[in-house]
Amino acid sequence: MDQEMAFHIDALAREYMHSGMSDAEAVRAARRRFGNVLRHKEAGHDVRTAHIDQLADDVKSGFRQLVNAPGFAFVAVITLALGIGVNAAVFAVVKSALLDGLPYSESDRLVRIYGGATNNASQIRGPLSAGTIDDIGARQQSFDSLAGFTDVAIEAVYGSDTGPQITTITWVEPQFFDTLGVSMMRGRAFRRDDAVNGLVALSGGALGQDAGAPVILSHPAWTRLFGTKANVIGRDVRINGIPRTIVGVLPESFIGPMGPVDFYLAFDRAPVVANPIAVRRAQWLGLIGRLKPGISQDIATAEVEQIWAQLVRDYPADNATLRTSALPLRDAMVGNTRSPLLVLMASAALVLLITCANLAATLLSRALSRRREFAVRTALGAGHVRLARQLLTESTVMAMTGGVAGVLLAMLTLDAIRDLLSRALPVHANPALDWGVLLVTTALAVGTGFLFGVAPAIAIGRTDTQSTLRDESRGASESPHSRRLRGTLVAAQLALCVSLLVGTGLLARSLWAMTGASLGFEPKRVLAGVIQLPVRNYSNPESRIRFRQQFEERVRALPGVESVATATSVPTLIRQRSGVTLEGTPSGQAQPFVLSTVVSDDYFRTLRIPLRQGRTFDAQERVDSPRMAVISESMARRFWPNGNAVGSRLRMGPDPKSPLVEVVGIVGDVRNDLARSDAEPMAYASTRQLPVPIVTLLVRTKGDPLALVRPIERELRALDRGLPLQQVMTLPSVLGAGLAGRRLPVLLMTAFGALALLLASVGVYSLFASMTGAREREFGVRMALGSRPRAIAGLVLRQGMGWIAAGLAMGSLGIVIVARLVRDLLYQVSPFDPMTVVGSIAILTACATVALLVPVRRATRIDAAVALRAQ
Amino acid sequence: MAVRDFDLIQGTLDLLVLKCLATGANHGYGIAMRIHQLSADALRIEEGSLYPALYRMEEQGLIESEWGMTENNRRAKFYSLTRKGRTVADAELDSWLRLSKAVTRVLRALEQGA
Repeated sequence: MDQEMAFHIDALAREYMHSGMSDAEAVRAARRRFGNVLRHKEAGHDVRTAHIDQLADDVKSGFRQLVNAPGFAFVAVITLALGIGVNAAVFAVVKSALLDGLPYSESDRLVRIYGGATNNASQIRGPLSAGTIDDIGARQQSFDSLAGFTDVAIEAVYGSDTGPQITTITWVEPQFFDTLGVSMMRGRAFRRDDAVNGLVALSGGALGQDAGAPVILSHPAWTRLFGTKANVIGRDVRINGIPRTIVGVLPESFIGPMGPVDFYLAFDRAPVVANPIAVRRAQWLGLIGRLKPGISQDIATAEVEQIWAQLVRDYPADNATLRTSALPLRDAMVGNTRSPLLVLMASAALVLLITCANLAATLLSRALSRRREFAVRTALGAGHVRLARQLLTESTVMAMTGGVAGVLLAMLTLDAIRDLLSRALPVHANPALDWGVLLVTTALAVGTGFLFGVAPAIAIGRTDTQSTLRDESRGASESPHSRRLRGTLVAAQLALCVSLLVGTGLLARSLWAMTGASLGFEPKRVLAGVIQLPVRNYSNPESRIRFRQQFEERVRALPGVESVATATSVPTLIRQRSGVTLEGTPSGQAQPFVLSTVVSDDYFRTLRIPLRQGRTFDAQERVDSPRMAVISESMARRFWPNGNAVGSRLRMGPDPKSPLVEVVGIVGDVRNDLARSDAEPMAYASTRQLPVPIVTLLVRTKGDPLALVRPIERELRALDRGLPLQQVMTLPSVLGAGLAGRRLPVLLMTAFGALALLLASVGVYSLFASMTGAREREFGVRMALGSRPRAIAGLVLRQGMGWIAAGLAMGSLGIVIVARLVRDLLYQVSPFDPMTVVGSIAILTACATVALLVPVRRATRIDAAVALRAQ
Repeated sequence: MAVRDFDLIQGTLDLLVLKCLATGANHGYGIAMRIHQLSADALRIEEGSLYPALYRMEEQGLIESEWGMTENNRRAKFYSLTRKGRTVADAELDSWLRLSKAVTRVLRALEQGA
């Protein structure tokens, strides 16, 4: 602008100079004539910044609206904070699980290959054998590198300076971190010669031949165990009593597909491949691969399937009852949490929509009371667009305020439920309110402000200025158009609410069915704990039997203990599967798989698993006597359909030379997979005959199981001072943890449902409260003309029920959509389950009717005289 | 085309500026000079009114501006009419002519009556 003015003044000066003035005089004259440059500049400026000034005014007006009506502001901001905050939190969770990158380089080029049994639909993501991995590695052409790893983190005792601590370890092939594209933060990655004999890894460390092996430390372990001290590299650590050396530390963001682990060790699979039994009969490894550049996921999957078909042909005895599958690593890690998370996001969105409809209706009625203000401004020259812009700005200001409060709420909520989340979400998910979430939240707040501001903004455009200014008393009554709009908004809220309730109800019933379905054992008041007998001190089977006996006796003697048992694992967490060959079957055939576990005599009594036929284990079982087994009902049905299971013999495991096992009893089925309604066949061996070094203690108590933890630990210390009691849990909490992934969405959606119900009810109430208030005069006239209060009440009630019915009718469409959405997540519940649908409708109608009753009652209390006089 | 409800003087200035630009693009000084010349020195535009009017009409999309070089190779901001501006200019001219006719008639009638 300065340049423009300068040019003008210059030109004037030249003109004056032409007409004879001196230079200086000319310039002065030009300046004088041009007037006060500054004033022009400001005048010019004002016109330019008019828009920004208007915006600033609108924003100020927005805040003024909130400050002047604190009650309304409070409710509105809280409602918005809940609606927006809930969405922010859910989006943060969904983003961390489904959208954020995995902590590996180019993670979309990574593939996970699973094994599984063909006769078992629940195990579609199981481990592979070392031989299969070897063969795939030799025959494939799609992958740049492949790496096997044990898919579980095993607990191990780490001997620190302050005493034994429980840590987790896992075995990976040396190229594991390279395949993932992860470099160490400190130290070095594994080298070929760091690898320990694979049979040690297969045995879970029980062989103990890996002294001096290098370990890599994870970042959380480095912080927890060593306080991030710099000199860990080269340090010796004792894990399970065996000295090993730390050679590297992983970066902070790293977590492997097996979940959080403290120590990584390297293993060499060659010895396992060389072992004729273990090569293909032991399925214990996960496999990841990095695709070659240019090769797509589909090509790799097809190749893996092709190779597997060849392997089934080449080794029918081993592989015929197995199968493989290949997935992108991201999908593998997300697992089956995708659907529940998306449903959760949809529910949060529903709540926000209800919030918008609610606020839109409220603002409409407030805009009504501000009609005079707007009429005056229109008369003074403000265009409709200008006023609409003001209203939209005001509503956006409200939404942004709510948004800020919502983000705070989201932060608090995420912190509060972080533990719950970590159990339910995939391992790589770390929900946080980062820039991405904040950006989306801001957009959401602005969009929300627009959405609920647009209704009053349009309504303002339709009001008749003249009549509003002129006619005060008649202005109190609402136009039928506006009333219909508000009614529609309330009906929409009811529709959204009933959809949400149905969705929540279906998922809740599924969860109920899942937890309520018979487990096959009684988990209440049972305490569980794990003791790992280190190979060094308990290499002799007798020592292990003795330990078990003595420990069980000691615990049994404690007060409050009803019965004690030991086993290899806690029920529902049994991972071991063995192939089964019936006596008399030719040995070359492929074996079907059953769950297998080793239990003590009192196991069935402690867990209240019923005996169906024969007997359970007792003193007849000895280390040197023939092997006995107890089998589950479904196993008996499967393998001996004519019912003569007891007394028959079979072979467990892959070795055709292993001793035959005789079935001595049949017990009731126990569900190992909580997500399925049927039970997998299970075979039990006796700890008297197979004294394994893992002792899972199961104690049925008379009172509170947790009260016995200290006494049990004391007894344990008395027996062997260096042994800690690990993974102490009550069985109900083990079950709860197993269901955490399903429980969390249901919990959250129930909260959303309650919120939606509250909002919708408040919406109904405020709609009819204001409508009744507005029609007070009309009702007064009616009553003066002879109508009885009951008739007036009936009028309001009928109108209200009309809108409620409209809302439910709209809701039927929503219910259909919701049912389709959650179909895959349901368990033994039909998507249109009548009880859920009817129940949801009933709850909503009840709440809405209660909300309606207050204005109805007010309508009956109208004093005709007062109403007629009031202006 | 809706008539904007400005006061008379402002409207007249706008009309003059728009019509001036209808014959070709010009800068602020040039517009002032032109009107001064064409009115045979009778009309002198106050720069204090001219520039705000120019900015206002630019905001409203009736004119657009571009920096350019004058014949003397000085840098100046040149304004030109937009299509919208052309339409508005014609409408404004119409109203002005009707108004001036009406005013003239009233004044004449008053003269004769009195």
